[in-house]
Amino acid sequence: MCKTEQKNEHQGVWFRGLAVASVLFVSVVLIFGGFAVSFAQEEEIPEGFVKQQPPSAPTPEQIEAGKRVYFTKCVWCHGVKGSGDGPAADRLWPRPRNFNAGTFKIRHTASGELPLIDVDLFRTVTHGLPGSAMPPWDGILTEEQRRDVLAFVTEELVVDRDWQDEEFETFTVLQLDKIQPKEATPESIKRGSELVVEKKCIECHGLEGRGDGNAFNLKDDWGFPIQPADWHKCWNFRGSRQDPYNVRNIFRTFSTGLNGTPMPSFADSTTIEERWDIANYVNSLCEREKDIDIAGGKVTEEIAETLSKGKALEIDPLTDKPKINFVIPSKYVEGDLPSDEHDERWNIVPRRWVAMGGQITHKPRNFVNRIDDIWVQSLYNDTHIVFMFRWDDRTKSVLQEEVEWDPTEVNLEDYGVEEQPPGGSLFEDDPFHSESIAAKQNQYPVYNDSIAFQFPVKWQELPAPQKPRYFWGDEKFSVDITKWDADGNLYTFTGTGWDQDFEERDFADQIEVKKAEWKDGRWTVIIQRPLKGDYEEDAYIELGKYIPMNFFAWDGHNGDVGRKMAVSAFYYLVLEPEIPTEAYVYPVLMAIGLVIVEGWVLVRRANRRKGKITT
Amino acid sequence: MTWLKLVEGYMPMQMIAELTLCILFFAALNYMLKKAGMGIPKFWAGIGVWVFIQLYLKYRIYPPLPFSIRAIYGTVSLCGIFMWVSGSQAEWEEFRRPILDVLDGKTPLHRAVRAVLLVALPIGLGAFAFNSFKPSFEEPIELRTVHPAPPATTKVHGKTYVLQVAQNPYRVNKEGKYDQEYTNAHITEQAMGRLMKSLGPEDNPWNPNAEGYIKYVREGGEIFFQNCHFCHGDNLNGRGLWAYAFNPIPANFTDAGTIAQLQETFVFWRVAKGGIGLPGEGFPWASVMPPWEQHLTVDEIWKVIMFEYWHTGYYPRTWD
Repeated sequence: MCKTEQKNEHQGVWFRGLAVASVLFVSVVLIFGGFAVSFAQEEEIPEGFVKQQPPSAPTPEQIEAGKRVYFTKCVWCHGVKGSGDGPAADRLWPRPRNFNAGTFKIRHTASGELPLIDVDLFRTVTHGLPGSAMPPWDGILTEEQRRDVLAFVTEELVVDRDWQDEEFETFTVLQLDKIQPKEATPESIKRGSELVVEKKCIECHGLEGRGDGNAFNLKDDWGFPIQPADWHKCWNFRGSRQDPYNVRNIFRTFSTGLNGTPMPSFADSTTIEERWDIANYVNSLCEREKDIDIAGGKVTEEIAETLSKGKALEIDPLTDKPKINFVIPSKYVEGDLPSDEHDERWNIVPRRWVAMGGQITHKPRNFVNRIDDIWVQSLYNDTHIVFMFRWDDRTKSVLQEEVEWDPTEVNLEDYGVEEQPPGGSLFEDDPFHSESIAAKQNQYPVYNDSIAFQFPVKWQELPAPQKPRYFWGDEKFSVDITKWDADGNLYTFTGTGWDQDFEERDFADQIEVKKAEWKDGRWTVIIQRPLKGDYEEDAYIELGKYIPMNFFAWDGHNGDVGRKMAVSAFYYLVLEPEIPTEAYVYPVLMAIGLVIVEGWVLVRRANRRKGKITT
Repeated sequence: MTWLKLVEGYMPMQMIAELTLCILFFAALNYMLKKAGMGIPKFWAGIGVWVFIQLYLKYRIYPPLPFSIRAIYGTVSLCGIFMWVSGSQAEWEEFRRPILDVLDGKTPLHRAVRAVLLVALPIGLGAFAFNSFKPSFEEPIELRTVHPAPPATTKVHGKTYVLQVAQNPYRVNKEGKYDQEYTNAHITEQAMGRLMKSLGPEDNPWNPNAEGYIKYVREGGEIFFQNCHFCHGDNLNGRGLWAYAFNPIPANFTDAGTIAQLQETFVFWRVAKGGIGLPGEGFPWASVMPPWEQHLTVDEIWKVIMFEYWHTGYYPRTWD
């Protein structure tokens, strides 16, 4: 119906349309030299798109070969009928894709259209979808096997639509390779920051783009909660194709939208140039080596300048995430330690990216960890050490009601804190999978957002690399835990095992929370503690030593409490001492020594040439 | 280099082959240049080859080799190059001539090089020494034993299993008898992709007519994909959703050095007792591997182990 209406309209405005189209054509050719747009039939094609023929149907042999790939590798998540209901599905959020409706997020085709099989779906299988459980299959399946499995999925498992159905399916393809990106100049970034307000991007993605604008009311086509992307973590963009800082991926998502989600296509409402400005701005927000304060999205020329120069984080090709450095350096400063994030002195010490995984060692396991990383920085003076923790959290969560248990209690199953059961509901029986972890995302009781770090007590006496267990110590070696809760409480506990209730210590009286603020989707918590306390209970922080340290984080809106949380590996805190005098003296002595040796060699050679030495 | 990847498992062989090919190519090039009357002096050829090997080791291999390893390779290749340039008295003379020319300051150019070197060498040495004296806090290298010696017995859910004699009760043929040969015949094929051998009921766990071994494989797979894939990955290669966050990284079952090297009972002990059950040399304090006896029944553990062997196309080792 919609189609016929469009056609009538076309006839009515034929001449005007032709004129507009030719002007458009000429200007496009002028701007993007050599980039051809076929305008003969459809004037409505948005700028930068071209109509394409549907792909040819795969052969039965290909489909049969693909079936063998599918039932070895894919069925476990995507299910026997491709309804996204395999055995893994009920513990995953986002859920595995349900192929039946032919709805796919990452595409070069216009909003609502099927994706290109040999480009979009092929790249999805090849590079995976970071931030979800879909891994890259490159290096595991051959190119042929990847194409075969796509033949099976698109022919047999997508049931509602058909790539060869010329009557209903169109392919309006973004010509991404032929469009030249606009340089990410400060002007372009600043313009982008204004456009994300004009185009209402910030209503979902938040003022600073941390995905906190409308974190809780969005649903995908199947009715599952879905969260807006956090622009500061480009390595989690589903369409980042193992190349997270590549601005083209953002441009593509922005031009074609994400089918099945509330993310629309902006192809009709923005010019190509505007889309590059927005893409440049979004790309510039992805975390760089130094934190860049964007002042709630009010990007000044100065901020735009800084954003345009930020140095990208090094990405580890084995994980496609930022590279981890397990040493957290702390540097010496004179006087009082900083009490807010704007203190200039934070600039002397690098910040460290601490990766967090769900706690899956002991019950209740956390299969969906909404906090997947935190940033840590540290400084010290003669008596104290300060830590600044910053992490993205779309929601500020403060305990709503009194809980029944004591802060020192860790075994909370008795109070009904339980892990997600494996489930296994099939789409045909239960299309809403109401018992799945994805369906439950917005129904958890709200607890405190929290952060904690632990040191081994008397770590000096442990023969390296031995440590107390990462999970709150063990009976042989206890740990010193400092925990901050969003309701304002700060505790120091002694931990003696994952299932042993904490022992509270009054060392907390000497610890100061200098700042705890949730703003625009990010927590900033600054905690200062004395270097030393009671040696028997509180970890001594000493200069120039590798002090084992690890981190725990709770997201209150994720129902995180007790052992349901996110956890890090062991890191080492190192208080960097000042450079000793020997480091200056010995190199100079060695250089002088070398000068003497040089002199000796030259003299000897000269003498030899004169024949004084005959050997 | 995306077109020529170093593939896990084949990496050492690939590296040796590539280096050999490059050296052969250099030798051929050197020979042809000589024929054409444009031979490269031995001195520069030697330095060139040495620098090439260093650059190759530094930039081609990933994850990067530590400096100490590269220093060892550097010394070995230096010795090799010395042997090559000192094959005969004449060659040795040819090799050291540029060095002596600089020492003697034969031409103005040589004198200039000598002056620069006389200044640059002590400064370089001083800087290098300062760098090594300056306190630096690199990540410490901690080597853990990946496959520690197993105990003789392990007690799981109240029952004691003797690792020498315990058997996977689900590794059975169609008659329901323990039969490793039968089950080995129906694992995935040993080719890229490691796909099931056919869609038939004996090879395909999802075939509605599957029974016995291959049906248990499916049940094991269901458990794997409800519990294990978060770390060990959808392809069992240790690259799961959270693999990046943990250290030690999760085991890669597709690597020939993990489950392919082990008896099934060893895997049973590791799965049941997890990281916390490791002996000291395995770093029990750092591993996030759950003691699966807290989450799974004994039957589920045996099934998931069988799935791991099926999916990776490896056979468990046997005692004989």
